[in-house]
Amino acid sequence: MKINVMTDILEANDRIAAASAEMFKQNRNLVLNLISSPGAGKTSLLEKTGDALKGQLRLGVIAGDIETMRDSERLQKHKIPAVQLTTGSACHLDANMVASALPHVDLKKTDILVIENVGNLVCPAEFKVGEDYKIVMLSVTEGDEKPLKYPLVFRESSLLLINKIDLLKYTNFNLKEAKVNARRVHPDLEIIDISCVTGEGISDWIAWLNREYHKKFGAKARA
Amino acid sequence: MHELAIARNIVNIAIAAAEREGANKIIRINVVAGELRGIVPAQLTFGFGLMAENTIASGAYLNLEITPVECRCRKCREEFTVKDYSYICTNCQNNDIEVLSGTELRVKDIEVE
Repeated sequence: MKINVMTDILEANDRIAAASAEMFKQNRNLVLNLISSPGAGKTSLLEKTGDALKGQLRLGVIAGDIETMRDSERLQKHKIPAVQLTTGSACHLDANMVASALPHVDLKKTDILVIENVGNLVCPAEFKVGEDYKIVMLSVTEGDEKPLKYPLVFRESSLLLINKIDLLKYTNFNLKEAKVNARRVHPDLEIIDISCVTGEGISDWIAWLNREYHKKFGAKARA
Repeated sequence: MHELAIARNIVNIAIAAAEREGANKIIRINVVAGELRGIVPAQLTFGFGLMAENTIASGAYLNLEITPVECRCRKCREEFTVKDYSYICTNCQNNDIEVLSGTELRVKDIEVE
């Protein structure tokens, strides 16, 4: 006997993600799901971001890692409230894992919540966690063909950050080619070049955060 | 290895559907996965075998239908299949296109006894 099912395989995940998204809206949080390969510079970016946003918007972080609390320890040194999720063997964060961390985040005192996903360009792209946007980070030590090798994450993301541009002269990474490749899979993808070492491009990234926060919640910041 | 998480969901969805109909053995599960989902069939099949162990889905055949990425140009309305990850209209070279299919990921139907 054949039984018609027609059920989305990630329906359970998406339901939890939608509930989290509603909670984020009520608490006036812009939520970003930050995805990259291991070592691309996600935590360095967040350290820079916390410092640069001081006096503008309050940053909070949920950091996902397979093991260790090192990322949250690094962020706490910069006075960025961070909750660490150790996933054990899981290669991505899903909506349920993120929802389980939310009671430990002071959402009312957070304007921008970054969910720092497990370092991986494949699996995290599949799972919504309640974010407004996915942001993909690529570093110049990785290779300019990455958007073609991992198209889903580049298609699903609203912004591409190309990090470590201070190292461009030491690599054979072709910045122009990387952007052509990224826009081939996602024609209207926004791209910002940055260096977490020299600080180049960080002001553009901060401007992007301010723009998107105010787009979601209006020009007036919370009282 | 997100295939493992997907395999677990497939097993759960199939068992729930089978139990609703009072079936006690699942023989086949038909899954549709868009090409954009980047599913590796061998990994999904392997994960499915693990997740189905000791359930009514144990031994079931997982049939995976990979659907291509179909797009429509917003300018000239041309519909085309994306090849080689090129999201550019094959007719007018415009890049303002909408994805019609290729992201789906669902259990279509199951066969039970």
